[in-house]
Amino acid sequence: MCDALGIITSSANRQRVEGLQDYRPMGAFSFAGRYRVIDFPLSNMSNSEIDRIQVYVRENPRSLAEHLSNGNAFNINSKKGKLQVLFSNNSTVNDIYNTDVAAYAENINIIERSSNNYVIIAPSYMIYSQDYSALLHQHVESGADITCLYHRVNNAKDHFINCNTLNLNRQKGVLSIDKNRGTAASRNIFLNTYVMKKDLFIDLIRKSREYSSVYTMAQTVDHACKSGDYDVRGILHHGYVAACSDFRSYYEANMDMLNPETAHSLFNPNWPIYTVTTDSAPTNYFDTGRASNSLISNGCTIRGTVENSIIGRGVTIEEGAVVRNSVVLAYSTIGKNADVEYQVVDKWAKILHVDKVIGTPENPGYVKRDDIL
Amino acid sequence: MSQNSMLAMILAGGRGSRLKALTNKVAKPAVSFGGKYRIIDFPLSNCANSGIDVVGVLTQYESVLLNSYVAAGRRWGLDTANSGVYVLPPREKADADLDVYRGTADAISQNIDFIDNYDPEYLLILSGDHIYKMDYSKMLDFHKEHKADATIAVIPVPMKEASRFGIMNTDEEGKIEEFEEKPAEPKSNLASMGIYIFTWKTLRRLLTADVKNPNSSHDFGKDIIPTMLNSGRTLWAYKFTGYWKDVGTIDSLWEANMDLLNENSGLNLSDNSWKIYTQDMGGLPQYIGPDAHIRRAYITQGCVIEGDVTNSVIFTGAKVEPGAKVVDSVLMPGSVVGEGASVVRALVADNVEIGAGAKVGKAGSENIELVADNVAGKEET
Repeated sequence: MCDALGIITSSANRQRVEGLQDYRPMGAFSFAGRYRVIDFPLSNMSNSEIDRIQVYVRENPRSLAEHLSNGNAFNINSKKGKLQVLFSNNSTVNDIYNTDVAAYAENINIIERSSNNYVIIAPSYMIYSQDYSALLHQHVESGADITCLYHRVNNAKDHFINCNTLNLNRQKGVLSIDKNRGTAASRNIFLNTYVMKKDLFIDLIRKSREYSSVYTMAQTVDHACKSGDYDVRGILHHGYVAACSDFRSYYEANMDMLNPETAHSLFNPNWPIYTVTTDSAPTNYFDTGRASNSLISNGCTIRGTVENSIIGRGVTIEEGAVVRNSVVLAYSTIGKNADVEYQVVDKWAKILHVDKVIGTPENPGYVKRDDIL
Repeated sequence: MSQNSMLAMILAGGRGSRLKALTNKVAKPAVSFGGKYRIIDFPLSNCANSGIDVVGVLTQYESVLLNSYVAAGRRWGLDTANSGVYVLPPREKADADLDVYRGTADAISQNIDFIDNYDPEYLLILSGDHIYKMDYSKMLDFHKEHKADATIAVIPVPMKEASRFGIMNTDEEGKIEEFEEKPAEPKSNLASMGIYIFTWKTLRRLLTADVKNPNSSHDFGKDIIPTMLNSGRTLWAYKFTGYWKDVGTIDSLWEANMDLLNENSGLNLSDNSWKIYTQDMGGLPQYIGPDAHIRRAYITQGCVIEGDVTNSVIFTGAKVEPGAKVVDSVLMPGSVVGEGASVVRALVADNVEIGAGAKVGKAGSENIELVADNVAGKEET
């Protein structure tokens, strides 16, 4: 048992993934062929024996609501446990009001009523594995008021742009939370994951609302660090991390899974990542079908060639078609002799009447959902 | 169809000893099939897709795995308020000693109390060892239309093979006149598929009498059906024309798997209107390595293919290491073909490891080689 209420937040800091996000919130993005991004925080919580979980959804809730259902697929106890999906009443006046803190404030009574003494907050759009009960234990041992989970990177000049970073002192005390503007290679990327007492969390929300009604949780905690009233500390995360914070990072995170070592550092057999089954049959490779260096989900029909790609469920690749360095989402069709390179092909798209759809490693292209090319 | 007007009972007690080592530890219905399924997923999914709510599964031989497997009715969607999958092993009763199921009919007789709970009008009897997709609600319509006491599903088989089956001799319209078990000189090629619909009241009376008959072997084919024919009951043959296969031997189990690779075999598991449901095993999609070569293959989630796979079916989590060759074979869940090893015309059982450089099976062999134990690797020469 882990004495924490799990909170999974939507993208509050106005990050946006062009294309994909028109159709679903970041948490519902497809990842590694058969997963969705939110499967990671949810499985992390479920594996940590957190069985009361709130998921905050800001926009286009349909796909996420369908995916989460009653939490059954995520091994959340159906009687003792509870998965709540909370839709926020967005302000239409100005999007700056639609912060994560505003959503918590709206549901503060529900949070107060939970019997857990702690909260663990994780974003729906970051991909990593982490034992939260170990994190909670470390937090309690340290005596800190707030613990922030971060990941050390050396490629921050052109990765994790606009993600939050932790400015730490030698004792891992958090001095401030800043944005990564790509000015330095080494950064402590903040995984927007917090551990604190529930009472402190409620207190912070109230104070934040009084101070500014457009403050996000990161701004609130940054303010708390600078005030000197709180002991805020960082804990280093080990293993793979991806932030689907823009289109390119989404594409690259998927492609990362083609490296078996990277994939194994994220998918540990003792730390299962749950998702929803669609009961697709295995994938059928016909006479003309070829594949190499690819992750291919079930239910596909492969008559063409697949190289260095991630293929979602139920994709059809016709004879003569070539798919290279691409992420093809579920139920799409790559028609006869079509040449698709460096693309993210969204669900149900059909590439039928064009010969070539070709992007570059720096600028992968995007094919819209349900679209026919 | 009103709720529970037809209840299904799956006979899943048999060992299936012709499957040799595959059924040493599990009953035949629990044997893996088609990459990610078990044989019993087929009748269970057919029931769910046909709108049958309550399914009893009669287990006996090595039933531990099968019991826990089928008890999770959620996997097949048999989990609404009035539905469920119920595991029915033999049990001790107040008025009878604990006894094994003495035959297919006895398995039903011993569970008359269970069936009565649901008060069904019709009872569907299925076996747990066939691969096919069938809408039982259409068969029930046929049964009702002909006001039959029993309807038996039949499939035309090649005349020269007919003597291997239970054969129904019917009149022109399909009314059964005679039943012959494995006739030396068959008069028809309509083989029983082991799928029966009975009007429950009629069957209940017959079973009650059969239990007391010391000369009966308590078998549907040998006792109940002949008794019904002799006493002038109305029995109809329901002709099925889709794919159906008894996977009772290693060769036939291999063949049925191979049929998944053939678009014209009639066995298509990708039809979304009639899905076959199974346990969700989790895990990454199949990974096809940089130097892998794949030609005509049926591969599922969790597999890691780094060698060559030709004309083969690869089950959940199986691995083909670099330089290994798998041809005309079936690799069951968790099996591993080590570096440079070769597997030809073989069926490699669950979790079996073929060591690096080892060779199993032979091209053009008469029978498929069953590999049920680990095979040691060979030193490089």
